[in-house]
Amino acid sequence: MLPLGLARDDKPTGMTNSKQKAEGQSDGGEDRPDGGWGWVLVVAMFVSMSLVFGLMRSLGIFFLEFVQYFEESAQAISWISSIGLAAQQFFSPLGAALCNAYNARVVVMTGGFLAGLGLILASQATCLVHLYLTMGLISGLGWGLIFTPMVATVIANFTHRRTLALGLGFSSIGLSSFAFNPLFQLLVETYAWRGALLILGGLSLNIVPCGALIRPQPRPKAPQKDSKSKLSCSDVLRRFSSYLELSLLLERPYITYTLAVSLFNVGYFVPYFHLVAHSRQAGFSQYQAAFVVSAAGATDICGRVASGWFSDLGHFRLIHLLSLWTLLVGLFIMLLPVSSLTGSYAALVVISLLYGFCSGALTSLVFVVVPKIVGVQRTMGALGLLQLIESSAGLLGTPLSGFLKDITGNYVASFLVAGSFLLLGSLTLATLPHFFSCTEPPPPVADKSEAFHPELEQMSGLSPDVNDQTDEPER
Amino acid sequence: MENMPASWKLLLMLVLTASCGRVHAETLDPSPKPPASAPALSANMRKVAVLQSQNSTQNVQLLNPLNLSLECSLTADHDKLPNISAFWSQDGREIPDSRLSATLEDQQYHVRRLFYIAGEEMLGRYSCVFENGVRADFILATPPFGEVRDKPVVSYGGDFVVLPCKMEEAKPKPLSWRWFRGNKTHKEQISEQPQRFQIHSEERKSKLKVINLTHEDAGVYYCGAVYAIGTTMNPVELKVITYQEPLKPFIGILIEVVLLVAVIFLCEKRRSKKNTSKGNEENPDQNNINLQEEEKGAEEGSSTRQRRV
Repeated sequence: MLPLGLARDDKPTGMTNSKQKAEGQSDGGEDRPDGGWGWVLVVAMFVSMSLVFGLMRSLGIFFLEFVQYFEESAQAISWISSIGLAAQQFFSPLGAALCNAYNARVVVMTGGFLAGLGLILASQATCLVHLYLTMGLISGLGWGLIFTPMVATVIANFTHRRTLALGLGFSSIGLSSFAFNPLFQLLVETYAWRGALLILGGLSLNIVPCGALIRPQPRPKAPQKDSKSKLSCSDVLRRFSSYLELSLLLERPYITYTLAVSLFNVGYFVPYFHLVAHSRQAGFSQYQAAFVVSAAGATDICGRVASGWFSDLGHFRLIHLLSLWTLLVGLFIMLLPVSSLTGSYAALVVISLLYGFCSGALTSLVFVVVPKIVGVQRTMGALGLLQLIESSAGLLGTPLSGFLKDITGNYVASFLVAGSFLLLGSLTLATLPHFFSCTEPPPPVADKSEAFHPELEQMSGLSPDVNDQTDEPER
Repeated sequence: MENMPASWKLLLMLVLTASCGRVHAETLDPSPKPPASAPALSANMRKVAVLQSQNSTQNVQLLNPLNLSLECSLTADHDKLPNISAFWSQDGREIPDSRLSATLEDQQYHVRRLFYIAGEEMLGRYSCVFENGVRADFILATPPFGEVRDKPVVSYGGDFVVLPCKMEEAKPKPLSWRWFRGNKTHKEQISEQPQRFQIHSEERKSKLKVINLTHEDAGVYYCGAVYAIGTTMNPVELKVITYQEPLKPFIGILIEVVLLVAVIFLCEKRRSKKNTSKGNEENPDQNNINLQEEEKGAEEGSSTRQRRV
């Protein structure tokens, strides 16, 4: 509970209407921030993230099976996961909009059902196009409907432990890729790819109970309740654009942040794709190279949780920590080729461990900064748009690095360029307003569009985005 | 030399090779010449094993029929006997009339024998065995397959399966590919039948596609890389299962999902009932909304709900 003597706007203007309704209807369904049910949601996020991204990362096991069975080229088969990933990213704003229009619980449950359905249908595929449509499009749509609502819900349910909660939730991705690789291998060996996909579809359906754990907030009447029987075209457009939070695209802080994150994305994935090949080229054996990547993955998990815990201690502003981690990641990526060119395996391992830790630390913070910039109420839509825009930048990064490798013959230039993109993104962060102040700026003032997003606002309850450092009422 | 007529050249060559051959025979091999009809007296390939006190094994990769000269050189120990006897064996059985006595030359005893390897039946393990027990093995074989798949290939009844086979770049190209079915002792070659088997072979790869699988199709298949001298076999095991096999764990997971969703909704209903019974009648709509929501939500993954007033 917050002490009364705080000089802060608890009730942003324009919200009094729906606010009263919220208070009137708040009861057992209303959670205290950082409370018990929040941690249950973290578990739900843990499971659903692992079943979405952990699963996506381990789909490579099916690659050889598909190449053999369908007798197609490797490129045609790799389109399956590309379509899946692209669908997940493309439909993220749709997921956010649907949550704003309806209910996070329904959206996540639908997403889980679609993800499972896509894989189950894929097990019956008789040609490659079937796989594109089922494993790619349908499952991708399902995945897109899961990510943004889950993350936004956890953000809304925590204030002081937000980064830790997100870090724990995201740590599942790394852990599950460790566990899923041998599991998928076993499934394919026992049941062939058809049976394995069927069982994976069943596993993906476990996201539905995770979505069920999201408590739907009782909905107040929407402002323009059916006083007019038919909605005019401009009304529909206005509602549509507000659900998607398209107005964010006109705000400078959000644009700056999105640009910075896109720059991160260009460089972030390069080591994932090229580290093994680069280590092999530097003369290390297959096992040594694989160990380096696994070690980086392990420290990635630790970095997510550790940075989450540390950021919540509140000694530094989140935006400063984010800049620090991205600077470090950029630096270590640039150091990666240096350490392997000198021929020292120990140096390569150490730099990779540090890179893994810092990149995991970075991941926890990227989404947590969003509510600081746009306010908790608009986080849902903001995340959806951010996901879409940053992922298109990510598509740019790996072909660019591959291109550089083809020209120069080794990976040094690719890593240097990737690291420099991260440094550039870090500098872009510095252009955010109030970057150089030591205390948090006041949260963005909510405008009249708040009425469309009562759900998030109610989840965050009586505490809108807070100044974490200056006053700690309950610690 | 170029001015000599061709016949003189031929005569000179013959004399030279004959004399070389005789020299070899005199110093090392007092026994008669090798049994198979050797087209030429000179060896196409020569393999040497240098022994001291331990046995050695060598793999020899052969593609075509040829004359193979195998040679063993044993370093003399402190005894320095003038003569030591040795014999050659093939696949563990001593080759008749191959026992000979090697004399000491430059601290070593040399034993050499020329073999004419005509076909697959002559491949195997050839050994030179000295009287003190030291031996050198030469394993003559066609190029082996690099990766042998130890896990069976699984597929479903009614479906088809593609069995792949590959000879790596580092190994020589086979002349052709053949597929067999059976066990180690008896293999039947598979011929192409349009409704059952399709074989598609490239230079280094071959694929056997078995269509319309039944349980009788399960077993071991052999892909054979055919060389002039013999065929290398690579076994691949095929297992045929029915759709019910993965269905069992799948149904189990489905039941678990439905149970979880039901439990979650039931707990929520109970908790909201408890709360509304504690609270007063200020939230009758709340109750209705909750119940309606749960009823609808209990259907797994339905489409988005309608807004309620």
